Parts: sequence; C-alpha cells; structure tokens
Amino acid sequence: MLRTLWRYGLAVLTVAVALFITKSLEYYTDITPLFYAAIIISAWFGGRGPGLLAVAISTIAIDYYLVAPLYTLSLGAKRISFLIVFGILAVVTSWMSSKRRQSEEALRQARDELDVRVQERTRELRQANQVLRERANLLDLTHDTVVVRDMNDVITFWNRGAEERYGWSRDEAIGQVSHGIVRTGFPAPLTEVNAELMRTGRWEGELLHTRRDGTVVTVASRWALQRDEQGNPVAVLETNNDITERKRAEEALQKVQTELVHATRVMTLGELTASIAHEVNQPLAAIVTNANACLRWLGGAQPNFVEARQAVERIIKDSYRASEVISRVRTLVKKAPPRNDLVDLNEVIVEVLALAQSQARRNLVLLKRELANNLPPVLGDRVQLQQVILNLIINGLEAIAKRGEGERELIVNSGQDESNNLIVAVRDTGSGIDPANVERLFDAFFTTKSDGMGMGLAISRTIVESHGGRLWATPNSPKGSVFQFTLPQASERAQ
Amino acid sequence: MSDAIVFVIDDDESIREALKSLIRSVGLSVETFASAHEFLQRQRQDVPACLILDVRMPGLSGLDLQRELTEANIHVPIIFITGHGDIPMSVRAMKAGAVEFLTKPFRDQDLLDAIQQALERDRLARSQRADNEELLHRYQSLTPRETEVFGLVVKGLLNKQIALQLGTSEITIKLHRRQVMEKMHADSLADLVRMAEKLNATT
Repeated sequence: MLRTLWRYGLAVLTVAVALFITKSLEYYTDITPLFYAAIIISAWFGGRGPGLLAVAISTIAIDYYLVAPLYTLSLGAKRISFLIVFGILAVVTSWMSSKRRQSEEALRQARDELDVRVQERTRELRQANQVLRERANLLDLTHDTVVVRDMNDVITFWNRGAEERYGWSRDEAIGQVSHGIVRTGFPAPLTEVNAELMRTGRWEGELLHTRRDGTVVTVASRWALQRDEQGNPVAVLETNNDITERKRAEEALQKVQTELVHATRVMTLGELTASIAHEVNQPLAAIVTNANACLRWLGGAQPNFVEARQAVERIIKDSYRASEVISRVRTLVKKAPPRNDLVDLNEVIVEVLALAQSQARRNLVLLKRELANNLPPVLGDRVQLQQVILNLIINGLEAIAKRGEGERELIVNSGQDESNNLIVAVRDTGSGIDPANVERLFDAFFTTKSDGMGMGLAISRTIVESHGGRLWATPNSPKGSVFQFTLPQASERAQ
Repeated sequence: MSDAIVFVIDDDESIREALKSLIRSVGLSVETFASAHEFLQRQRQDVPACLILDVRMPGLSGLDLQRELTEANIHVPIIFITGHGDIPMSVRAMKAGAVEFLTKPFRDQDLLDAIQQALERDRLARSQRADNEELLHRYQSLTPRETEVFGLVVKGLLNKQIALQLGTSEITIKLHRRQVMEKMHADSLADLVRMAEKLNATT
C-alpha cells in the first residue's frame, strides 16, 4: 500500500519538479523534454500506472501553465493537436519505459534464480566429493590390499594397504602391469583363472606375491569383474589378504601332527616287535633247515641234485619272504611327509595282516579276512592307512587275549556302503567295550591298557578324518567289538 | 629203519617243506600236516613213529595236542619246536613226556638225533607193549582156579599153604601150578614173579 502510494507520489513529484524547472526557465528552454524525463522516471520506477498518471498530470500541467492561453484549460485547435501529439508520445514513452523496466526485472530475477541453483549444485557436488573422499579413505584404512586394474592388467587403483603390503607407493604402482609388479605366482594357469573370472564374474584362490624387498607372501585373493552398461568387462577389483602367517602355522601344525602320527606308529610297531621277530625268524629257520638238507642231499654217496636244487629254490623263496617283512617294517618306521596316492585298501589289509599274523599266533587267535572284489582305490597315504588297520587289529587281538576264553577269532572285512564309500571293519571276539568308555574311546591319552599311551585310536581317527572318512566302534554280536571306518572313493574325493 | 615214519605238524608251509626235505635226506619217511586237527583226522600206519610239533599254532596248539593224545592213549614220542622257546613252556612239555624241545632255527644234527632217539624210544615202547600184550594174553588163558594159584604162588606161599587156603589137596595144587608154569611159559619161579610184576604194572 505504502509502496503504491510512493510510486504514484513519485509520478506527481517528478512532474511537479519538471513543471517547476520548465516554468522557471520558460524563456531558455523547450516545453516538453523535462516532462518526458519525468514520465520515463515515473514509468521506470513506478510502473505502467504511475507512468500514465505522469502523462495525464503533465498534459494538464502543460496545458494550464505553459500553453497559451495560460492558466486556463481551454484550448485552441492548434494547441489541441500539440497536446494530443505530446500525450501520444508521452504514453508511448511511458509504456516503453515500464516495459523495459519489466524485462530488466525479469532478467534479474532469472539471473538470481540461476545463481541460487548454481549454489545448490555446488553444495551437492561438494557433499558428493566428501562422501567419495571418505570412501576412498575407508579403502585406505583396511589392512587388505585393494587393487583395481583394467582389462589389460594395468593398475588404476592402489590403496594404502597395497602400499604397505608390497612396498610400492600409489604413484609407482598405478600404470604398471599388476602381475608384473608383484610377480604373481598362480595355483593354476592364468588362462584358466581368467576363464573362470569371465564365466562367473569372480575368482578366489591363494596366490604368491613378491614384495618390493623380495620377500614372498601368500595371500588369499578375491577377484571381482566390473562390467559397463553394455555388459563389457572394464575392470577387475582384487582384494588380497595376507595369510602367510596362517599358512606357516598350519604347516607347523601339520608337521607336528605328522611326527605324532609317526611316533605312534613306531610305538605300535614296538608292541609288535616279538611278532615281527618271529615273522623274520620263521623263514630264517626254514632257510637253515633247507640249507642243511641241501648239504645232505649233495653229500651222500649218490648226490641227489634234484632234491638239492629244490631245497635251494625254497631257500631263495624264504629269503625273499624275510626281506619282505623287513621292508614292510621299514616302510612303517620311515618318517615321510604324508602322500596322496591311489591306494588299494585290500592290498593294505593283506600286508598288515602279514605283520600281525604271528602276534595272532602268539595269542592263539585265528586271523580271517573277507575282502570284496573289485574295490575301487582310495586317495591317501598308504602307510597311514596301514597304521590305522594295524592299530585296530592289535587292539582286537589284545581284547581277545584279555577275555582269555571262548572263540578266538578276528575278521577283517572290506566292502562298500550304500553311498559307495569304501568300508573296512575289524571284528573281534574279545572283551568288548565298556559302555561307560564308549564316549572317550577316541580321546587322546584315554586308555584301558596298563601299558597303553592312549594315542592309537585318537591318531587313527585323525588319520581317517584327514582322508575324508569316519571311524567308529560298535559292539560285535554275540561278543567283542567292531571297529570300522569309511573312506570316500578316489574319484569322489578328487572332485 | 625204513619202516619208521616221522610226522611233522606246523602251520608254516616253509617250515613244513624244509623239515620234510631234511628228514627225507637221511632216508626217513615223512608225513606233514598243517594243523593238529588234520593230524587227528588222518588214518595212521601202525609203525614206529615220532611227532615233530610246533608249540604255538592257531586252533589246537602243540601242547593241547600232546595232552589230547595222552588222554586218547595214543603213545607217540613228541619233539617240540618253537620260534620263541620260553622255559615254563618247555618244562611243561618235557614233563608231559616230550623227547626234545628245540628252538628255531635249530642245528639239523640236533633234530636228527632227537628223531633217532624218539624212534628208538617208540620202537622199544612198541616191543614192550607187544611183550606185555603177549603176557596178558597168556594170563587171560588161565582158568579162574589157575589164576588164584598164580596169585598165591608169586606171593611166595608153599603148595601146602595154598592147598590149605583154597581148601583142596596139595596134589591138585601141584597140578595147577605146573599148568600155570606151562601156560605162562615160565622157566622158574623167579621168571613167574617177574611176569607178575609186569602184569601188575600194566593192569
């Protein structure tokens, strides 16, 4: 309201000023220019309404004060045309001025709006930049190395973890070929690795990397493939986790375990020394007897070469038999890292039974075997599997000896279960398992023997489980116990 | 000598074959068995024999077989062989009548000597058993009255005392006595007394 009053007031004031000046300088100046100026100012600052008001007041003022006859509103024909021309020109001037003013206003407004929007955008951008920077900082915080490389294996991102792990700074690494700078050792051919990455978009595995100082680290590496909107691969994100220490600990543990397995095996053999001695002595006795017989066949008045020859042939056969026993024992005593071979379980059983044969004899136990034909091989360490079976047989023999009476029989079965796993069972007619001990039977240092260490069954179970199988005990019917274990076929385990 | 036979029982084929060859090389006949059961089931010739036996065998052990043979009144000298001779076991075997107890590997001469000794012992025992059987046969041919007279004569009683005890005449006893001497093939009273001792020992 006040503003409207001010706008119209401005019109009146400017026209009054124009009138005053024009009237004062009546003889030195033209009548109209100052009034045009007043109209332009009124229209400029006040808008169309004040402009028109200025036109009207100016017209009246000119007519009244400046055009003869002075101080009347009456007009001659000549003066009327002058006033009409002035009025039209004044209106046009007013209109143009206010229009110009309007468009300038609109322009300013548009510019102001634009300004505001630019500021908003700038702020958003700044925020986005902040978030990005924070994320990038997060990638720097992780201990894992994060590396991004393009499809030519050229490094495009290298976080602080990578700097610390490999000793190459970000500036040095970016632009280098990634497998070159860390001399990656692959578990499989690179083409296979890449093929899997392309097929599934991911790859995981253990890699060997060489640091700047030449030390080699083992890393658990995960790769993820990044594709653009068309689905074309553009980059690979690689995160690596240092597992060198873990690997070393695992290897140390495995070494200790191997030694423990070996120690128990030697102890088991210790229980068999008398038996093994007999097993060697038996062919030696036969050799001595055959040699004596041979001398007698040759030494008579009429040497019998046929008999002598046969005796020598038996000597050869028995010598081999004795040396086989010794080499079997030697294999078991030898300390060697675990192997992963194809093993025929039936063969293992036969060999072990040969070692335990005279132990059974000493205990007056009949050793029997019922082996399935066409048994598929298993994958594993032959000596360790021998150890398991030997251990179960010795336990069985001792259980029978402890019982003292009744049927004395130990049977070793081999076969396959319904899921085609191989299964070996050792059945004895011994004293059986005390139900109170069933739970602890496979615990380390648990034993029911006065001179036992309690390692045999614990180690046996460890061995079987490391071969992907299971070892358990059940009562035998009508007496004694059954210890059996399963092992997956080699073909199953390889997958 | 050639009519004798050596039985070998051992569950180890190598040992069986070696022993067989050695024993045959000195001209003896051999039969081998893988177990005590196999030996018990086989029909055996009635000739002087001995047994070479492994102490420890699954199933029926050597010592078990020794006991079983004694119980069945089968007399055959036994030589034990063992891979791991322990003293209590050898003592048991020897007490039960074993000829020898050898530890593998043994000297061939020791075994062959033991075999000779065992066969000699069996031959002797067999002839003794034959003598005893003959004596028993003669004894059994006596009439009840002659048997009574025999018993009293070897106790050292005079004919008169015997007649008195049996309630008959001295002449009758004299006749019985002559009959006894004749049936028993006794040359003298001393001879008859020895026979009575032998009979007592076997019956």
